[in-house]
Amino acid sequence: MLRFLASRLARALLTIAMVVTFAFVVLRLSGDPALLIMSVDAPPEAIAAFRAAWGLDEPLWMQYVKYFGAIVQGDLGRSMRDGRDAIVLVTERIPATLALTLPALAIKIGIGIPAGIYAALHRNSLTDRLVMTLAVMGFTVPSFVLGLLLVLVFAVQLGWLPSGGDGTWRHAILPVVTLGIGGAAVLARFTRSAMLEVLGQPYIRTASAKGVPWRAVVRGHALPNAAIPTVTIIGFMVGSLIAGAVVVESVFSWPGVGRLLVVAVSNRDLAVVQCILLLVAATMVASNLIVDLLYGALDPRLRQARAGGAG
Amino acid sequence: MSDAVLPAVTAAPPRRRTRVPVAVAIGLGWIALMLAVALLADVISPYAYTALDLRNRLSAPVGIGGSWAHGLGTDELGRDVLSRLFHSIRMSLLIAFGATIIGAAFGTGMGFLAAHFRGWVEQAVLALVDFSASLPFLILALAVLAFFGNSLTLFVVLLGFHAWERYARIARGLAISAGAQGYAAAVRQLGARPLRVYWRHILPNIASTLIISMTLAFPEIILLESGLSFLGLGVQPPATSLGNMVGYGREYLTRAPWILLAPAFTIILTTLAISIVGDWLRDRLDPTLR
Repeated sequence: MLRFLASRLARALLTIAMVVTFAFVVLRLSGDPALLIMSVDAPPEAIAAFRAAWGLDEPLWMQYVKYFGAIVQGDLGRSMRDGRDAIVLVTERIPATLALTLPALAIKIGIGIPAGIYAALHRNSLTDRLVMTLAVMGFTVPSFVLGLLLVLVFAVQLGWLPSGGDGTWRHAILPVVTLGIGGAAVLARFTRSAMLEVLGQPYIRTASAKGVPWRAVVRGHALPNAAIPTVTIIGFMVGSLIAGAVVVESVFSWPGVGRLLVVAVSNRDLAVVQCILLLVAATMVASNLIVDLLYGALDPRLRQARAGGAG
Repeated sequence: MSDAVLPAVTAAPPRRRTRVPVAVAIGLGWIALMLAVALLADVISPYAYTALDLRNRLSAPVGIGGSWAHGLGTDELGRDVLSRLFHSIRMSLLIAFGATIIGAAFGTGMGFLAAHFRGWVEQAVLALVDFSASLPFLILALAVLAFFGNSLTLFVVLLGFHAWERYARIARGLAISAGAQGYAAAVRQLGARPLRVYWRHILPNIASTLIISMTLAFPEIILLESGLSFLGLGVQPPATSLGNMVGYGREYLTRAPWILLAPAFTIILTTLAISIVGDWLRDRLDPTLR
């Protein structure tokens, strides 16, 4: 188990290192940041000073080593626009984003999983068809369209809720619902197919054949087995808590990480973009790691295989 | 992926296969309509999509007070929404086609490379696959756009990298199992070069699986493109795309919702149609991907 943990951890760190390298490579491939940030007619001395200040006048490998070293020490650079530490700029937006994505995650799990299980257990019933139709709709309607339609109905026509901005909990309702509906649809579809897959297995037939009540078969055999693939996708949703609301935050002018990212991209504020990129990568990698560990808890077969492999 | 080939056999009874379901037929019809619009955009547009009609700004569509002169109304500059819609459909489909093909070609190529050379090449490809799968693509795309700025070519190529890792995984798995089968070995024994073996013999055998993956990726790319364009980071004016129209129409949500609704419903219906048709294709051609 320890060896398994170590190898997973090594892979996670490798992924992070690749993201850092990716950021460095595209940063350098993209041309001279000095010319991007400074205006075209800036005096040469000013450009030279800018390059010296950001270390752009050193050899490339030197820049890479320094870059890597700085990131390892937690120094993610300063916003090239307002000069504050990028990490501070980003972290102060995190609570606002989580205020949307956490309730949305609760909606996704709370609606998506029961709906998927119900649809699978009543396959081809009217409810199943309804759930699946809604799930396909939820999957094909882009979040910005859904968000704007909700605004049109609930803010413009009915006037019940604010159309954007932040401040009160009422401002969060429409963005949370927008995020939640789409995710619930994906999760419902996924849970249903995971359940159907499991329900078709021979051990389910065996269990029913030997007289186990259907409820007990579902609870004891079907649900635990269907949980394994479902956990994967929930893990992905947890991993995107920080960055999963880029579009929705923009629709509702919500001051979160996603909004910051969009603004930073259009201003080409590279330090902030890179900081968010690393933060997202770290969250994704961490949640993948947790999912892998959960597999062991959920599936004794995997646990034993690993114990065998490690021993 | 390696075990994906076998369990299909027991699936799907052979009955009820001949008739095309109504939903699929409607989906196919809608896709055909969109393709026709995209091809004929210049001919069927009543106006040039950039033409201004300043006296008829924000005029409503027919049915809610507008006139037939501008069937779907006009936007804030008096540009004809219908003409813009036609050109947006063309642009969005063009981008989605280009990007899907780039992704499929690149991913399949990488998968074949991994399957052919094995060893460290395979490990490197798999590490890249893991890297791509570990980050939400939207974030990667935004980062690249921040670093490189925006141009249409870059944008299409960038979207092409969406889902490349899926093709790479599929192609690698299938090529490895195909390599173990008689036909690939036979051609190789006859002296065919690797390129010929992959291009003429292995690729045709795994094409149906790859095509189904493309029908899955296509609507995702439309959604990505429209999302990025909506954020103002995709297709840049004066060019227009569906997401772009929604993004600009949003400013007039209260006064002129038709600017936004026409492209919004086009996006929904198109992705819906492709998803329905894609699911149906998948069930028919390759039950292993379900």
